[in-house]
Amino acid sequence: MPINNNTQVKRRLPPCRSACPARVNVQAYVSLLQRGKYKEAVEIIRNDMPFPAICGRVCFSPCEDACARTNVDQAVAIRALKKLAADVERESGRVKPKAVPEKQRERVAVIGGGPAGLTAAYELAKLGYPVTVFERMAEPGGMMRYCIPDFRLERFVVKNEIAYIRDLGIEIKTGVEFGKDITLDSLQKEGYKAIFLAIGTQQGMKLNILGEDLNGVINAVDFLRDVALEKDVKVGKRVTVIGGGNSAIDAARTSKRLGAEKAIVLYRRSREEMPALSSEVEEAEKEGVEFHFLVAPKQIIGENGKVKAVECARMRLGEPDESGRRRPVPISFSEHQYEVDTVIPALGQVAEIASVPPGLSNKETKMPLVAVDPLTLETAILGVFAGGDITSGPASIIEAVGAGKKAAVSIHLYLTGQDIHEGREDGVEETTWIRNWGYVQKKDRRYKPALEKPRLGFDEASDYLERTERNAKFEALRCLGCGPCAECLANTDLCEVDKAIVDEALCIGCNVCAVVCPFGAVKKDESNIAKVNEDLCKGCGICAARCPTRAITMKKLTDERIASLALATLKEK
Amino acid sequence: MENREPKIVCFVCNFAFCQDEIELPDNVNVARVNCIGRLDPVTVVEMFEKGIDAVMLAGCKPPDCHFVEGNAQAELAVRLLKKFLLLAGLEPNRIKLVWYSPVEEENLGDCVSKYYEAVKGFSNSLESKQQQPEFVVNLSAIKNAFSNFQLRVLLGREKELTEEVNVYGEKLSQGEFDTLLDDIVKTEFIRQKIYVLARCVPMSIKGLSESTNLKSAEVLGHIVNMRRKNLIAFDHLEGQTPFYKALEVN
Repeated sequence: MPINNNTQVKRRLPPCRSACPARVNVQAYVSLLQRGKYKEAVEIIRNDMPFPAICGRVCFSPCEDACARTNVDQAVAIRALKKLAADVERESGRVKPKAVPEKQRERVAVIGGGPAGLTAAYELAKLGYPVTVFERMAEPGGMMRYCIPDFRLERFVVKNEIAYIRDLGIEIKTGVEFGKDITLDSLQKEGYKAIFLAIGTQQGMKLNILGEDLNGVINAVDFLRDVALEKDVKVGKRVTVIGGGNSAIDAARTSKRLGAEKAIVLYRRSREEMPALSSEVEEAEKEGVEFHFLVAPKQIIGENGKVKAVECARMRLGEPDESGRRRPVPISFSEHQYEVDTVIPALGQVAEIASVPPGLSNKETKMPLVAVDPLTLETAILGVFAGGDITSGPASIIEAVGAGKKAAVSIHLYLTGQDIHEGREDGVEETTWIRNWGYVQKKDRRYKPALEKPRLGFDEASDYLERTERNAKFEALRCLGCGPCAECLANTDLCEVDKAIVDEALCIGCNVCAVVCPFGAVKKDESNIAKVNEDLCKGCGICAARCPTRAITMKKLTDERIASLALATLKEK
Repeated sequence: MENREPKIVCFVCNFAFCQDEIELPDNVNVARVNCIGRLDPVTVVEMFEKGIDAVMLAGCKPPDCHFVEGNAQAELAVRLLKKFLLLAGLEPNRIKLVWYSPVEEENLGDCVSKYYEAVKGFSNSLESKQQQPEFVVNLSAIKNAFSNFQLRVLLGREKELTEEVNVYGEKLSQGEFDTLLDDIVKTEFIRQKIYVLARCVPMSIKGLSESTNLKSAEVLGHIVNMRRKNLIAFDHLEGQTPFYKALEVN
């Protein structure tokens, strides 16, 4: 049975796709957007992952970092294009997936309704497994639903994407807490043949400094979750957020929206080391969030049980630590105080210790995490797989999606009695046809002069794309189409690409084809006859138009066909 | 101006073309090609042979070519085609290359309509000329020239010749290349014309010089050259006058 498993085979992929943890076929959907085919583009994304609109909004888009266009000018605004496509599709009416007849009998349980769990459920449901997702909260979506604030990721978007997954026939049981209502044993007894554990890291990390229990200290995760639950959350006039990740920025921006007059983000390293998305940081600055770098809290000073101030020390950057970032070193006698009413630590998350089942914990890491085989995501218990934040520590949505896909493949192989290790090495060779970057012309966005940054700010980009449909087309046309042709839309009926073929009897080895081919796809071999490398050929047909002996023709669009196309309707007239 | 609607064929690059929102005059046909550089000049000449009055090529506006330099290739081909049309006594503007991009304000329909009006002003339709032997000979000469090895190699290697040095370390300037091209266009046109004429019936030098409007000495020079290339051969004598006949090339 064919399974949609792009992480399995060693393949040559364009930079964007090989940079994506979920291996989303970027080149394909961008090339569809060039032709204004939004629906088909979203379908292509959904082949690889179920969250086009969500990732279009909040993905950290490693694809854009990898984009080959950064060698020439700016990366294609892939994320904004994805958002646009998903939005157009959603607005044109709710799309339902093709129903999969249940082909498999083994029931699969997925614990945790976040991106990893939902993706695994989605992939397994597409393979025909009856899947049940258990979610602790009232609504599925995990961090996407409860931790990313509404102004970055609208609730209805999350709901819509999850509704799509549900339509595949997945059962989502909410309000079921793992470790309390269900356990691994109870699920196995209920008849679930495989279990995917994707409970994520739900607990905010502690500052471990004096005064952390004071009234007015609220962890970023709890803070954002309470806001998402529409609880009555109050912040003081002056709020300080400690940390430099995306949730720190989200917390600062949220508290501004809740009425804080001043929101300061304290980060112990400098701006370059900040893990948050630079576009988010810029947005926050626009909203008036202040950033203080190279500052770390020493203690929180209280008055009558309430937060009064944070005492901080200045830092300087020392030698790089194991994460590759430079370690902050406190400067002595640099202590100073910030007068604040609310302190929001946002130092990252850890798993709730109680939720990691005994026997599964990873002893090598400091944090309580689940130990898995990184290739197959299997745990020490047979039939139990784990992935997402609970194995990797807090990461991103797209990485969770990648883990979900990997787990789905493992579970499928496990349930069908195959070797789950075989051929699982994630061998990807990055490829691009461009040999000489000097030949690639700059294609700036038409609306503003060349920019210095390698990437366009996300809001700018989506603004630009939404202005007119032609802007989106133009942006998509900036794609260089790095990947070999087979990577794109081959095997779908959307593929329009032609290939050159050589009539060896006519070829005299003059090498003109090799000169004109922009992709280096045609070359003479030892016998002095031109050979077409179909992986590189993109079917432009320039070689066919220039071949002195007309030995090269195209498979689809031959000269005769062009002529007959050109004369076709005129004859009737 | 004749009271007749001209026929136009418009070749459009797949990537420049938005199918929406264009309205075309009745006698215009649009054919999509993968890249405007895909278009073999021979195909364009064939259009004229079939009685199409004008050919428009719409490619991506430089520097936006999806295939990097397809539009540069098209530009060169069009330049040559225009030269040939001029030699054949036709308006060079019967071929028009427009750069077009889906983000441009002016849409393709407007471009075509504008051109359509311009074509209406041309003296006569090619359909009516289809019966004239000179027209037929000229066009097949152009077609032959474009099927010819030498010209196609030059076309294909322009970039290489003008931008890089050859094996002798020499570099051709764009001007030198153009002169070379001009030369070849002229000789090739004449030779192919001689070839086409002599293919129908054996011709004398005098006859050839009359039909090509050249001095007999020049024609003789071409004949000598063409004999060496096995394109033409002595056929028979009429009195003192030798007659030549074209050989089939395979």
